[in-house]
Amino acid sequence: MCSACGFPPAVGHWTDAGGQTPTERLRIRFARVALLNELLKPLGLGARDLGVQPGIQVFNGMGQTKLCQTLEEAWDQVEFFTGAPFDPLNVV
Amino acid sequence: MSSEENRLRLTILGGFLGAGKSTWLRHQLFAKTYDQPHVIVNEVASHAVDDTLLKGARCLDVLAGGCVCCDQKEQMIALLHRICNDRSRKQDTPQTRQLVFEMSGVADPGQVLTAIQNDPILNRHIILEEIIVVVDALHGLEQLRTEPLSRRQIEAADQILITKTDSCDAQTLETLLATLRQVNPASERRASVFGVEEPLADASSAQPVQLPDLDGLTEEPLSSWSLNLDEYGTDENSWVGFSVWLSAMLHSHGNHMVRVKGVVRTPGGRLLLQSVRKVMQAPEMLPDLPASGERSSDNTIVLIGRGMNQERIHKSLHHVMTKTAN
Repeated sequence: MCSACGFPPAVGHWTDAGGQTPTERLRIRFARVALLNELLKPLGLGARDLGVQPGIQVFNGMGQTKLCQTLEEAWDQVEFFTGAPFDPLNVV
Repeated sequence: MSSEENRLRLTILGGFLGAGKSTWLRHQLFAKTYDQPHVIVNEVASHAVDDTLLKGARCLDVLAGGCVCCDQKEQMIALLHRICNDRSRKQDTPQTRQLVFEMSGVADPGQVLTAIQNDPILNRHIILEEIIVVVDALHGLEQLRTEPLSRRQIEAADQILITKTDSCDAQTLETLLATLRQVNPASERRASVFGVEEPLADASSAQPVQLPDLDGLTEEPLSSWSLNLDEYGTDENSWVGFSVWLSAMLHSHGNHMVRVKGVVRTPGGRLLLQSVRKVMQAPEMLPDLPASGERSSDNTIVLIGRGMNQERIHKSLHHVMTKTAN
């Protein structure tokens, strides 16, 4: 278990492989969560990334928040909140 | 990222029963195509025959008595753990760099990859190099027509090797080629007789055989779409947009996507992405190209799947990507 975050060690996710330095990684996370918010807004959901803490928080308008470790988990959570998988082909 | 480059390169050799996998591998070992590979052979029969034929491998392990994608999965994982462990402890010097995994004729390469990918240890030690699927020129068409497994093997292939081309007529071969192209348009097709590469005739004029439905599989042939990310601003923007878009696509349409492959430029470097079915392989950082070098294949992603419309895919990607840039 990681002594800083308390998560058990996990397999790195491919969506987190784009940055090498801490700065790059943080910039990518913030840009990603901004994009997620754009996409989730029409569904009444939102996402948050605190930067100092790992993971993406996905929340709905009813006060429910879930801390998701990877982007893949975040999509699972969106599906849980809305009842259907988020389909990028339908957003156009 | 030295740890990335140091991973074991895995070549998976698949193909239906009797297609000529071992013959091909034996010749490659003789011809030293692979640099001192560690070879794993999987046999469905409880008594292994093939291993006695394979000379020239640096090390050979046999998994006999079952297929690795179902009843022998645990043994396979245990064996791979042992290989990775020995390698990390430097018990094998010089270090093994290449792993060639000859699967049994009834194994599905996709399943094996999923098992490796989902294992937290193997995931960090093994990287897929390519999937080679061997097809018998004489019986390939019949197998495609009747065996769902044979189709799944071909769909997963990066490279299709057609064997025994010397013993079938040109007409059959052309039809087979056209059908293979229809089943897996993105694969590279080559011919080989007893492991020696043969020239392959161009069969662009031949008509593919219509394949019947097999338990819900292949209602329509696969299509491949290529996506270009160059027009979407900086590496950071294109990577953020693309990773969000592709992860959502894999989440919602994963069952229709057979393969994703390409090199994406990210802030951290050039990243090789490849997925087999729903499972994305651990990505690999590639070394930077020289500034003057050819960069044309970077940021072009090939998507192979079925049941999706090209225009919608491009529109959807464009929609997500332009939202990133704002």
